Amino acid sequence: MDSEELIQTAMELLVPWALKVNRPEGNRLDVFVEPHHLKEAVKALVETQWGYFSALTGLDQPPAEDGATEGHIEALYHFCRGPVVLSIRTSVPYSNPVIESICDVIPSATLYERELMEMFGVVMPGTPSTDRLLLADDWPEGVYPLRKSFTGLGEQKLEETDGNAA
Amino acid sequence: METQRKFIVPIGPQHPALKEPGHFQFTVDGEIVTDASVRLGYVHRGIEKGAENRNWTQNLYLFERICGICSHVHATALAIGVERLAGVQAPPRAQAIRILMAELERIHSHLLWLGVAAHEGGFDTLFMYSWRDREIVMDLLESLSGNRVNYSVNLIGGVKFDVEDKHRDAILRGLDTLEERTRHYLNVVTTDRTFLARTRGVGTMSRNQAELFGTVGPTARASGVARDVRVDAPYEAYTLFPVNLVTDEGGDLMARFVVRTKELFESYRLIREILDHLPSGELTVRVPRKIPAGETVSRVEAPRGELFYFIKSNGGEKPERIKVRTPSLCNWASVMQVAVGHKLADMPMILSGIDPCFSCNDRMVLINRGSSSQVWSWDELRRYGIEYYKKL
Amino acid sequence: MNNLTVHPLIALLLFPGGLFLLGGGLLYEWIDRKLVARFQNRLGPRWFQPLADLVKLLAKEEITPQGVNRALFFILPVIALASALTSALYVPIAGFVPASSFRGDLIVTLYLLSVLTLCLGLAGANTMNRFALIGATRTLTQLFSYEAPFLLALLGPAIVTKSWQIMTINYYAQQHTWMAITQPIGFVVALVGLMGKLELPPFDAPEAETEIVAGAMTEYSGRGLALFHLGKNVELFIGLTMVAAFYLGGLANPLEFLAKTLGLLVVLTVLQSLFARLRIDQTVGLWWRAGALLALVQLVVVFLLR
Repeated sequence: MDSEELIQTAMELLVPWALKVNRPEGNRLDVFVEPHHLKEAVKALVETQWGYFSALTGLDQPPAEDGATEGHIEALYHFCRGPVVLSIRTSVPYSNPVIESICDVIPSATLYERELMEMFGVVMPGTPSTDRLLLADDWPEGVYPLRKSFTGLGEQKLEETDGNAA
Repeated sequence: METQRKFIVPIGPQHPALKEPGHFQFTVDGEIVTDASVRLGYVHRGIEKGAENRNWTQNLYLFERICGICSHVHATALAIGVERLAGVQAPPRAQAIRILMAELERIHSHLLWLGVAAHEGGFDTLFMYSWRDREIVMDLLESLSGNRVNYSVNLIGGVKFDVEDKHRDAILRGLDTLEERTRHYLNVVTTDRTFLARTRGVGTMSRNQAELFGTVGPTARASGVARDVRVDAPYEAYTLFPVNLVTDEGGDLMARFVVRTKELFESYRLIREILDHLPSGELTVRVPRKIPAGETVSRVEAPRGELFYFIKSNGGEKPERIKVRTPSLCNWASVMQVAVGHKLADMPMILSGIDPCFSCNDRMVLINRGSSSQVWSWDELRRYGIEYYKKL
Repeated sequence: MNNLTVHPLIALLLFPGGLFLLGGGLLYEWIDRKLVARFQNRLGPRWFQPLADLVKLLAKEEITPQGVNRALFFILPVIALASALTSALYVPIAGFVPASSFRGDLIVTLYLLSVLTLCLGLAGANTMNRFALIGATRTLTQLFSYEAPFLLALLGPAIVTKSWQIMTINYYAQQHTWMAITQPIGFVVALVGLMGKLELPPFDAPEAETEIVAGAMTEYSGRGLALFHLGKNVELFIGLTMVAAFYLGGLANPLEFLAKTLGLLVVLTVLQSLFARLRIDQTVGLWWRAGALLALVQLVVVFLLR
């Protein structure tokens, strides 16, 4: 199958859940879905063995300066097959950052999910372990380093955590 | 509730089996492993976050330092992605030099791995010999770029140095020796009986499992999964110099040894071909300082497997987001699943079987807990570095 | 009957016991390390390195970890070294007449040589350290696997000689064909058994550094570690002496002693650098399936041909 055919099959598979479909580059396909549809969409890909789960990217869209729009976290589930990269994109607001885990479909996704949880503060119910994977044990709760609002731990924050650890 | 006392063997963060820090907990019943878990992050350096405060050129140097072994592929992945966003392409000669370096790096990485894996199995003689021969390729890399690691080959829009005739002769001479030695190593890993006792049928991963866990690189290819970015989605000069895929159906540790060793031969062949048909022309093209807004995915084949970069530009001098997914992270999950049911003595070899690279996994969060307990700016860090060495 | 004799007190403190033995042990350790290094394409240590290591370790602070029986922790290395040194009294070190000898001293010597391994196992089990515990388990497992074949292999020459006295076997061996030729299987089993006893590669699973750090000795530092190392060196020295005396035509004088034991040591180093480490289950399997069986076959042959 050449890349055009691959993209067509993927599109047909994901059409029931797609909010929007985009072709940013020749070999890429972006499919936007609702957070609660994500797992079904992933399942459809896995069941037909369309490619493999390659990466999970988090993107932070901070709230507008005047507070007119709420901040969002966008999660991109990249699937690769041959030359094609398919990204299932879903966006959740800061106020309700919940994406259901896909670990029962793809067990190996847990490491990526834990990274997303720690770095962006997305809650992923259903992931087998929520222990710290990457951040330090005494890293303060509720601080998510890859959000744009994070510019470093202040002096006070660190002292607080030191106190807690002691 | 019945409480069962678990006997947990911790390996790491500091342990003779690990050359880099990572932490594994193996729950054992006698010698048999019944559960495995992993904790990473001991070498987190905040590179993804740091990238957002540096311009594109600075980032090239920063990302080259994600990994000390496969530094070149990281810079290549970033350079290719940024060039694509900017709508330019490196000249043919630069592309060929990029993949030439990538293949030399693959040789160095695979030989390094061969030694480490042999050492984990207590076969120190093979370890010493393979590392001695690895020096040949290290010297070649140094003579080409001036550095043994972090070769700094890439610019955004090209490469920094040319490959001259004297380099060509040195490389060809080195390859002849290496090829002969590699033939010997292939013989050792496929015939030595004590070695086979430690590798054959150990850590077996079926083709289905390999597919499901999303393994990449030699780990996947050793389970019969034909997956190689150089073949699936040829980038740079790989379109001119096609790669022959090396796979093995075994799926066990021995297959991983065989696949990596055979890939060495493929790299030798490829390098000779590149040197014979090196395109002529410029080494660089001009790239604007501000990269147009957009998103791109850049995939290259690192020695350990597919390296995945997601790059987003907002049209400025600095990236909006760079996401790096290194091959080791893909392969971890598979190891943790395969480990259960094996003997504790097999763990070091199973772990090293995927050629894990911890620095690659851990990237983020710049934090210094010493004197000031604050995140340091780049300038502060630089000043600190200068002051530190003045004192010496 | 041309072996030389020495005064008992000298025998105990200077030669062949005491100082000479320690020196010999260190020298043989150096030769072992140097040769393995050369085989592995490394430079290897300088000649005084084992001594320097010993002095350094003795000068270091000894840390007693929490949760151990302190008396046991302290005394085990001493017992280990002492038993290894004591066993030297019954073997023809450097080709001299054993300092002390009685009927059945072969059994006592073998027992004394096993005490070191036993101490090592106890030392590992004494600590709370998980690596040490696993190391201890493996050490003792290995003890039970190689001990029987090793014993059987040394029994062959004893049966031919019709004596359980090492001195007598040594004289007998000097006057007959090398038993390595008449009992080749027993010789191989004895030599490989010695490697298992000393936990040399490929039988170094009990102290496999890539799995369990230093095995049973993980918690030991300073003096304790130095004594254990010394004990092993002495055991290497004595083990080589015994195998040479039994199988390589006996030891009549220092020159013969040197040539034969060094020859054996070279063989040991080659074997060490040739193989990958065996897992503990593979070690046990090898010894019980191949080692014990071969030794038994050898014994049967000896009985039938006697």
